[in-house]
Amino acid sequence: MALLELRNITAGYGQNIILKDFDLSVEKGEFVSLLGSSGCGKTTCLRMIAGFSEPMAGSILFDGKDYTHVPLHKRNFGFVFQSYALFPHLTVFDNVAFGLKMRKLDKAIIRKEVMHMLKVVDLEGFEQRFPREMSGGQRQRVALARALVIKPDLLMFDEPLSNLDAKLRVKMRVEIRRLQQEMGFTAIYVTHDQEECFAISDKVAIMNGGVIEQMDSPSEIYNHPKTEFIARFVGFENFFDLTRTGERAFTLPSGAQVNTRFDHAGACKGCIRPGDIAVYPAGADVPNAIAGRVQVCTFLGQRKQLNVATDIGEFVVSTDQSQVFSAGEAVTLSLAANKIIPID
Amino acid sequence: MKQKKNRIWLLLILPGTLFITVFMLIPLFSLCLTSFFPDQSFSFSSYLKLFGDVYFQQTFLRSIRLSLLSTLLCALLGYPTAYYISKHSRHKGVMMALAVFPMFTSPVVRSFSWMVILGKRGIVNNFLVWSGLFAKPQDLLYNEFSMTVGFVQLFLPQMILSLIGVMDNISDDLTLAAGNLGATRLGSFFHVVLPLSVSGLVTGSVLVFTGCMTAYTTPQLLGGADTRVLSTMVYQYAMSLRDWTQASVVAVVMIAVTMLISSLFSRISRKINPVA
Ligand SMILES: Nc1ncnc2c1ncn2[C@@H]1O[C@H](COP(=O)(O)OP(=O)(O)O)[C@@H](O)[C@H]1O
Ligand SMILES: [Mg+2]
Repeated sequence: MALLELRNITAGYGQNIILKDFDLSVEKGEFVSLLGSSGCGKTTCLRMIAGFSEPMAGSILFDGKDYTHVPLHKRNFGFVFQSYALFPHLTVFDNVAFGLKMRKLDKAIIRKEVMHMLKVVDLEGFEQRFPREMSGGQRQRVALARALVIKPDLLMFDEPLSNLDAKLRVKMRVEIRRLQQEMGFTAIYVTHDQEECFAISDKVAIMNGGVIEQMDSPSEIYNHPKTEFIARFVGFENFFDLTRTGERAFTLPSGAQVNTRFDHAGACKGCIRPGDIAVYPAGADVPNAIAGRVQVCTFLGQRKQLNVATDIGEFVVSTDQSQVFSAGEAVTLSLAANKIIPID
Repeated sequence: MKQKKNRIWLLLILPGTLFITVFMLIPLFSLCLTSFFPDQSFSFSSYLKLFGDVYFQQTFLRSIRLSLLSTLLCALLGYPTAYYISKHSRHKGVMMALAVFPMFTSPVVRSFSWMVILGKRGIVNNFLVWSGLFAKPQDLLYNEFSMTVGFVQLFLPQMILSLIGVMDNISDDLTLAAGNLGATRLGSFFHVVLPLSVSGLVTGSVLVFTGCMTAYTTPQLLGGADTRVLSTMVYQYAMSLRDWTQASVVAVVMIAVTMLISSLFSRISRKINPVA
């Protein structure tokens, strides 16, 4: 049984429905990321789990209990806000101690726990500072300490690193992952940064149109996207229809033969990344060949991108610098058989 | 470069400074001087005489008491109103306009309205008699009650505006964060919203308190002969008794008390929220 389960959730603002028939399940100890473009409803979803808002329909189960209408202060969940939401009138110590004070713990215990947590996030000696006297990265760590010190059953992050510069972002995400593995908390992490969430998650849930389109381990998503949306998200740019002609053999709409490493009954859609297509001079005898003509050639530093027009539409191909093709030139593309992926 | 900037700055504040110096500081200074030189020589005698006077003592205490009471009432009435308008109202603009609407009418008109409402045959007395609570109309006018009512109505908008100003700056995320950390609604109110709005409460209180201490029309029209306050007393000394020295002494006392209590308010605020 999953630790957290969202079933058939509908959520939104007034008439504006953001999540529809939304399902999500998170296992204990897992680090799950919600990934999606800006405005797709990640924050809405996270805030609903935290209890900041209630779903219009559907239910939230936590540890087998119905949490749909449990008030937020009775859920033992931590939340790291995008804006950090530190209390400006309280010192770093009192910010971190807030949750423990609300739990009416003994003063000495609070002191011990807070000091320990400040040490964990590397903020020893900052107890008496006020939030406005701290840098962005330090505030971020105060927010993290404040959420961690209550030993939450579930810790949520809403784009916690988006206000930091690129270098600090990388450092902090490693830090967050390290803490999660050391302390073993269950986490839901919201971001729109693909690299970030692939780097730190056990599972990534990619959202599209108010639902989760695929939820899998980062490598599974990277190598086996299930839908065109996900495939595009992880860098597939060439899509084509395949009709089965034999074992692991298909034809393209143009009639060209394609051999693959997968099999699929009847027709399906296939896709391939720009880097997995080789380019040869026109007429070359290569496997999985498609004839085409270079439309545009773009310099991308290490590599070059070619846009090649073919009978079945435009292909985006990435080649290394040594190959010289110019616009208008006829070429033959060769699709690497083991890199063609079927999608629904 | 920096030097130049500073000079432009000086130029910008010059007219205001000049205006305040000529029309406020100098008269104020001469007022003080007058109060300390009753007979061409320096002495505290006017002050001693004044504070020894029972009538003045009563007036002095009444002024402070009524001002503090009105400030307290404005805070109690204004806080929930401001909180509602800032955090829960859907038609914020309309609500704000309604709250500050009384500011568009003059204190004279407002005092006269209260005379109509609180008079012997006003709606309040009519209601009291009609409902059987009292056999005959009560004296609701020309006493401390009517003055307090007048003060509260006069200065409530200032309190509400000051409070809305700070409350609008309290992000909803802060109360959510408090709740998320285990605070009940009441808990997040007392630990987050209240400390963060204290500065507005203090600004509002200073405005209301100074307003009440210095208001003239309202106590003159709604107060009676035996409910004088410092401002009406100044008038009495200056205009009726032609005793300019005593008038200036009362005025100085009035200014001193107002400044003292206002700074006390700010000190309390800094205790509660050292950052604001
Ligand atoms: N308080 C709100 N009232 C009305 N609409 C909102 C509110 N917050 C967000 N939305 C809308 O809901 C959609 C999803 O928002 P959000 O969950 O914040 O997206 P994300 O976090 O994925 O960027 C957006 O289209 C946004 O305009
Ligand atoms: Mg968001």
